[in-house]
Amino acid sequence: MRVRLVAFLVAMLLVPQARAATETPYFAAKVAAGALPPVDARLPEHPRVVDLKAMGREPGKPGGTWHMLMGDQRDLRMVTLYSYARLVGFDTKLKLVADILESFEVQDDEVFTFHLRKGHRWSDGEPFTAEDFRYYWEDVALNTKLYPSGPEMGLTIGGEKPKFEVIDPWTVRYTWASPNPAFLPSLAGPQPLYIYMPAHYLKQFNPRYADKDELAKKVKAAHVKDWSALHERMSRQYRPENPDLPTLEPWRNTTAPPADFFVFERNPYYHRVDEAGRQLPYIDKIAMMLGTTNLIPAKVASGDADLQARYLNFEDYTFLKQAETVNHYRVDLWQQGYGSRAALMPNLNAADLVWRKILRDVQFRRALSLGINRHDINNVLFFGLARESGNTVLPDSPLFKPEYAQAYTNYDPDEANKLLDAAGLDRRDTSGFRLLPDGRRADIIVETAGSDPIETDILELVGDDFSKLGLHLYNHPSSRDAFRQRITSGQVIMSMAQGLDNAVPTRVFEPDALAPTSEAQFQWPLWGLNFESHGQQGEAVDIPEAQQLLDLLKQWRMAKHGDEKQSVWEQMLSINAQQVFTIGILNGTQQPVVVDQDLRNVPEKALFSFEPSSFFGLYMPDTFWYDRKGE
Amino acid sequence: MLRYLARRLLIMIPTLFFTSAIIFTVINLPPSDYFSNYVAEIQAQGEKADTSRIDFLKKEYGFDKPPVQRYFLWVAGLLHGDYGYSFEYQLPVRDVVGDRLYLTMLVSFSTIIFTWLVAFPIGIYSATHQYSWADYGLTTLGLLGLAIPHFLLALLFMYFANSWFGLSIGGLMDPRYLNAPMSWDKLRSILAHLWIPVIIIGTAGTGAMIRSVRANLLEELQKQYVTTARAKGLHPFRTLMKYPFRLAMNFFISDIGSILPSVVSGAELVAIVLSLQTTGPLLVHALQTQDMYLAGSFLMFLATLTIVGVLISDIALAFLDPRIRLQGGSR
Repeated sequence: MRVRLVAFLVAMLLVPQARAATETPYFAAKVAAGALPPVDARLPEHPRVVDLKAMGREPGKPGGTWHMLMGDQRDLRMVTLYSYARLVGFDTKLKLVADILESFEVQDDEVFTFHLRKGHRWSDGEPFTAEDFRYYWEDVALNTKLYPSGPEMGLTIGGEKPKFEVIDPWTVRYTWASPNPAFLPSLAGPQPLYIYMPAHYLKQFNPRYADKDELAKKVKAAHVKDWSALHERMSRQYRPENPDLPTLEPWRNTTAPPADFFVFERNPYYHRVDEAGRQLPYIDKIAMMLGTTNLIPAKVASGDADLQARYLNFEDYTFLKQAETVNHYRVDLWQQGYGSRAALMPNLNAADLVWRKILRDVQFRRALSLGINRHDINNVLFFGLARESGNTVLPDSPLFKPEYAQAYTNYDPDEANKLLDAAGLDRRDTSGFRLLPDGRRADIIVETAGSDPIETDILELVGDDFSKLGLHLYNHPSSRDAFRQRITSGQVIMSMAQGLDNAVPTRVFEPDALAPTSEAQFQWPLWGLNFESHGQQGEAVDIPEAQQLLDLLKQWRMAKHGDEKQSVWEQMLSINAQQVFTIGILNGTQQPVVVDQDLRNVPEKALFSFEPSSFFGLYMPDTFWYDRKGE
Repeated sequence: MLRYLARRLLIMIPTLFFTSAIIFTVINLPPSDYFSNYVAEIQAQGEKADTSRIDFLKKEYGFDKPPVQRYFLWVAGLLHGDYGYSFEYQLPVRDVVGDRLYLTMLVSFSTIIFTWLVAFPIGIYSATHQYSWADYGLTTLGLLGLAIPHFLLALLFMYFANSWFGLSIGGLMDPRYLNAPMSWDKLRSILAHLWIPVIIIGTAGTGAMIRSVRANLLEELQKQYVTTARAKGLHPFRTLMKYPFRLAMNFFISDIGSILPSVVSGAELVAIVLSLQTTGPLLVHALQTQDMYLAGSFLMFLATLTIVGVLISDIALAFLDPRIRLQGGSR
């Protein structure tokens, strides 16, 4: 076995730190009053210096409030997504860089050594050290009350736990016996794997450290069953509901739920500065207003938001554009990062055995794909701005090849009809519709989650195309929950949903979306469930192509070289494209993004997706600033 | 009278028991629960739902127990004044409903008073000036108010308020007061925003009430005692108020029963459209996400208010109109 040491050095860290950071006006009064230490004492010894000029942006000035509109309390996590402060994070070129960490070393994807920034502090001023990692690992992840079924998936490889070591107060190491290549990407993910927790704060809820009577009182006051429920509730980092929970993100929540209006305030101990030595973020506060989501486009058009994309749809674009000058904002169009805006998912686990046989016939799936006139759909519904493509990666991904996008996506009804005849659907009824081998009419009922009006519009057009193939298509919207259950139980023969969630991957991302790994993959829910439950539930994969995908995924996990990972990705993409497991229609659709005219550094064109861009997160909203007088 | 009251109060117990059973059954009818719903929604956005976390929550909220057991746990809690726990908000239901209840009551009471203030004078005028132009005109207006759905009116209001006057859309107060404790400034801000929902919710009620007042009064006005009173030279206004109007009030009193629950729940649809911080949107959202204890406890609360309201209106009727007897059938 060849041992290779891969050291990631962050060039930015080598820039000598001018030790004269400028005080932020927001905190000036507090510092003068002695309530807060001066900025030099708040920053770590080596803060992360963000060189804005090098990024092609302008360094700015602090101040202002970012107004955003959200639906309900669950949307609090949007701030965690937009903030995007992670141990390691992706930059705009999707390279992993140290962020909260000062540096990190990886050996064979098995030994991960993390170096923290000396002097880095939580938002309440307490030091952030190896103890916070130790607390999470020993007192949370390994605690059977908090994690009844063992540590989270990203921390175990085939059920095997890592060896955790504290080297010194600023260095920790995780060692697995077999490679865990998904570890760093999951730390960098939009919904990251949290492997640290503010130990100094949470120990008061843990019976190993807390006074028993005190803790019992707290449990009683919170109306929860026991300490574990209290600990769980107080320690949510992804959805920052607890205003007392210290954080490392640029903004911290100051409002206790329930509320309709949440205010986030800048974190005085945040670890990033700009090249001029100004502590980031530039924006002082976030004001999040909750309300009816259907009203959000109207409110945005009346100028109630400074930077908003969530709950805005492409249909709202012209409406938003109308009020652009009156209400002092601009509307940009960002590219959505789905593999397909809407894709047909033939359910290979359908309960109806006749249909199952047909759906598993690749000729049938290819025929449906060839029978869709994507060009018309693009022109009718997206003004021709979308890209006609199968459900695969976008051209922005280094893994993209045109043949994945173009496989069986040309409009060819004659060929489609031939394939359908060959697939055993050659008999027709008196009105020309195809019959199943058992004599029933081959009507395709496509179910949708019913929440996305564009799906209905697309299905309307696809239905017209399919009638030329002698197939009748019905659209059946239902509630998302019932929809999911009906798919897993096999009652649905075909569904429509978004394609690949992350369609701009690089080879360091795990290709799990291309193999049956989750119940939420509507083309093979039972196989996915089988994988998720380690063979306890669902059905084992019983077609060779899907088995091959699973084997390739295993190979990616064991791969030692980047090149091998690349080749696995390519094979998996190629199999998916050739087998048409999902029938993609269009991708590269546009997401309207409303930006206040005074807000600087917001890119005009960018990728908008949950993964990998964490919505705005990848573009560092802590570097956005208001060019306004008096602020 | 006391016996009657005791009997009515005792009947309330089985009624509420059945209501609670129906509510619980209906909420549990869908083949899923809050957690599967939550997981489905999270995954639809590309996020990963941590199954071990979900298992933890399910266990904590007793979802590993059979429904019957959960039902009795819930009812036992209700009897102790414990309304259960909202999954969505991760808080006791009592805390979630909290302030919203007061705001809802404020909106509802204002609406009711608005309705009365507008409907009674118009109704009386229409009845006393039957088939005049004013009667036709006001009746048409009332019918229009009755015919236009609340939420549509709310949408129109919002659109024009925004495009003509530049008013912000929705809300019951200026955003900066949302988390602030109650103060004079906050109250003033609420009152400044209150009139829009009051008018919108009030129009339909006003229309209906105008028609009822008019019809009931017309019936009385044609009776002979009115003619006699007039013939004897009683002042017309006193004639009207002393007898026919009081008699025409019976319908109004019996209506109180249905007013009580609506005071608490508010007009859900309008509240959603206008983003009001009232209980209506809370209830609808809880039902959508199957946040069962929040929804169930709230519906139980409404059911209790309905039953109490009916009782109150029955008793009030008996006091107001001696012709009505409480014990039926003892002729």
